[in-house]
Amino acid sequence: MKNASLTILLIAVLICILSLLSIFSSTSQREGEIWQNIYQRQALWIGLGIMFFLIISNINYRRFWDWTYFLYLASLFFLLLVLLLGSVRLGAQRWLRFGWFNFQPSELAKLVMAIFLARYFSLKDESNVTLLSERFGVFRALIVPLFFIAIPMGLIIEQPDLGTGLIVLFIFIPMLYLANVKLKYLFVMLALIIFSTPFAWNFLRGYQKDRLMVFLNPNIDPLGAGYTIIQSKIAIGSGGFWGRGWLSGTQSQLRFLPEAHTDFIFASFSEEWGLLGGIVLLFLYYLLIRKGFLIAQRTRDQFGRLMAFGISLMLAIQVSINIAMNMGFAPIVGIPLPLMSYGGSSIFVTFIALGILANIDKSRAVF
Amino acid sequence: MNRARIIFWGLSLVFLLLVAGLFNLEVIRGRNLRGLGEKNCIRLVSQRGSRGRIVDRNGLLIAGNRISYDLILIPQEGIRQNDMIAKISRVLGKDAGLERGRLSFGTSMPVVIANNLKLREAVSLGQLKIDFPCINIQANPVRGYPEFKLACHLLGYLGEIDRWRLTKLEDYGYKTKDIVGFGGVEEKYDYYLRDEEGGVSFQVDHRGRPVRTLGFKPPVNGKDVQLTIDVRIQKIVEGALGDRKGAVIIMNPYNGEILALASSPGFNPNAFLAKDSSTVSRLFKDPAAPMINRAISGAYPAGSIFKLVVAAAALENRKITRHTSFLCQGQLKVGRQEFKCWSTHGTQDIVDALIHSCNVFFYRVGLLVGAQAIHDYALRLGLSHTTGFDLPYEKQGFIPSPLLKKISTFKNWFDGDTANLSIGQGDVLVTPLQITRMMAVFANKGYLVNPHVTKSINGKDMFRYHKKPEKVNLRPETINYINDGLRGVISDPGGTGNVLSTVGVAIAGKTGTAQAPPKSSHAWFSGFFPFKSPRFVICVFLEHGGPGYYSCLVAKRVIEEMLEQGLI
Repeated sequence: MKNASLTILLIAVLICILSLLSIFSSTSQREGEIWQNIYQRQALWIGLGIMFFLIISNINYRRFWDWTYFLYLASLFFLLLVLLLGSVRLGAQRWLRFGWFNFQPSELAKLVMAIFLARYFSLKDESNVTLLSERFGVFRALIVPLFFIAIPMGLIIEQPDLGTGLIVLFIFIPMLYLANVKLKYLFVMLALIIFSTPFAWNFLRGYQKDRLMVFLNPNIDPLGAGYTIIQSKIAIGSGGFWGRGWLSGTQSQLRFLPEAHTDFIFASFSEEWGLLGGIVLLFLYYLLIRKGFLIAQRTRDQFGRLMAFGISLMLAIQVSINIAMNMGFAPIVGIPLPLMSYGGSSIFVTFIALGILANIDKSRAVF
Repeated sequence: MNRARIIFWGLSLVFLLLVAGLFNLEVIRGRNLRGLGEKNCIRLVSQRGSRGRIVDRNGLLIAGNRISYDLILIPQEGIRQNDMIAKISRVLGKDAGLERGRLSFGTSMPVVIANNLKLREAVSLGQLKIDFPCINIQANPVRGYPEFKLACHLLGYLGEIDRWRLTKLEDYGYKTKDIVGFGGVEEKYDYYLRDEEGGVSFQVDHRGRPVRTLGFKPPVNGKDVQLTIDVRIQKIVEGALGDRKGAVIIMNPYNGEILALASSPGFNPNAFLAKDSSTVSRLFKDPAAPMINRAISGAYPAGSIFKLVVAAAALENRKITRHTSFLCQGQLKVGRQEFKCWSTHGTQDIVDALIHSCNVFFYRVGLLVGAQAIHDYALRLGLSHTTGFDLPYEKQGFIPSPLLKKISTFKNWFDGDTANLSIGQGDVLVTPLQITRMMAVFANKGYLVNPHVTKSINGKDMFRYHKKPEKVNLRPETINYINDGLRGVISDPGGTGNVLSTVGVAIAGKTGTAQAPPKSSHAWFSGFFPFKSPRFVICVFLEHGGPGYYSCLVAKRVIEEMLEQGLI
């Protein structure tokens, strides 16, 4: 029991080592100093991330109850700042420059939304006995939280970053379910989403429509929008059972696979480590998420419980969507693979989230 | 609690699906996808070796190789395409639309943009390589025939492999789009002549830039083929034949080496490589059939030359002797039909009859010997079956016999048929090569040789691979009597080939005039020289060339020029 934080850290570090190996391999053929030391930067982010983990895991998670509104407003502020003066990269405005560090506020917003929802659904009545969420009417169960998450979601989608925006929604729905909201409201929510999908199509940007179309059939545009998904499938498939070996994946080494060290790191990893490596990686993620769920189920404090659920869900959804997208099972959206993809913001936020998880497990004994 | 468990199991299911998807991609479709991956990054630039040369018996080149410069683009990204195309088309002086279309096709394989560049163009395009590294000038050896039409039927030509040949030759490593020989030596010895393609395979990155070389297989040149042809004689022969339709063969009577073999009209084999489609289709549609090698693929009535067969059959069967004479009155009645002679010769023995080519004598002898015996001796002398010549598409000709007539047409054989057969008319069909071979039997005193045109392949003598001369069981007297007749044809003032007597070498031979109504007759002459110790057998055939006399004129010109050049 005491070792929950150690287990979490161990699994996270194992995944990070695989991440470093993959990033080193997929960038080793590139010229230029920036590319050559990119794995060193990732190592730095991981080191800092572990520091964040150690710090956060020693802060009582109940403090987040008090900080929720501050965090919520702060992330809204950053998201607005991004829209106003963010740096544009890869056609999207997602980053804020802090000296040598490019910060991606939408990564932070995901975690903050999970915390916010956990707090909202763990409100209790005056006598502090029963949970309000079980007796919420449609207004308080759906409309109010939807309003609160719709603001950051809209800001994220406007960047444009549809994937991350939708992840917030994907966290919201199971959280509703886990918060013991009446099932009929849940169905209302789902029906709402289903019926609004055709209208949402009109709000999509051209490239997003293309991506959805090539998701259905990558071969309609093999050199344009479908290129990435075709190359990604080829990369994974080239791995075979044993993989092509470290530093010998032609798809990522020769740069046929775009974004081989960020969003498509799973494909370049699979190419070199094969089915074996892929299963090991998936198993590590599964262990991590399972740990999160176990912690949540053991926690009797509703806020801690929902927060642990939220964090586990956030991880699980990102991992499964990213890997499904690598294999062509999901449309291409800009979602990194937590702990694997290159990028400071994602690493930091993931370690912070894991730190909260560790602390929930640690503090449970206090209550 | 329950709800948490449901979510958790749902997530577990998702992970299971992901593993299943991974298994599907990596194991079930793995091999397929890995192939695609390799196609992504492996490029092959092929390099042709040179096709084996064809030389004559003295080592003079008949078919060699010249260098052709090809412009190849290895697609790369980040090239100012329009700029490059503009520059290329300025050098080549043609519209660049074609190139743009090919380039923007999006292929990542090397594309051949232009073949057969002039040296000047190749050099100036080579300079563009500095600005546009995707431009490649490749020097390829290409078959060239420096003597143009010379010996074209012997050599054949080159073209892209057709489906029929492909199915036949697939097991020998032939592929679609291979250039293979058609007709002649190029086809028959293609397996030896053809080069083995080599090439460089290298890895490229996503922009098509070479990263590293994976392998290099040097091209292997084809093996040289040496022919028994003597280019000097071949040139004389083709000069003498000129534009007339026909064929001339000169052969060594002892071992069957073909010294010259010409068929006219001919073609320029270079036209097939230049992909000059209008010239090629004109060649195939020409009613004069320039693509047919008349020396081996043309079967014609033999005419009077066939009398040698009748004479041999009669002498061997002892139906006549040296002194058996018949009276020629200009015609002979066989059954109800009247058979004519071309003149009235009076009393003729075997030698006289050969000298004057008397039809009546041979009608009578033929009737004495019988059709079946004539047929048998024709076969013994190499008619009615292929000679074993080493070039493809040889016809086997036809010699009628009572049995064959019965079988094929259900008609009876009459004496009139025998009379017709005796002078080589009727259904008799022979090729000039068969006649040459038959004449060689009388030149070498009784041996049927195996005509051939290859002397050595890759320096290895083909002598052992050709069939040895076979003994034809003819008595020496038979041959002597017939040779006396053949010599008399030239030397006797009344001989049909007397025009050749002025040549400075003693010739023996026989003329033939084969009726081919409604057109004019075919002209034959076949003989050997020098008479005492024959070194050459010659056969001249002119398709619809008139009486045999015209063939003698061609032979005369050939032999005179050979004498002039000291080749005899």
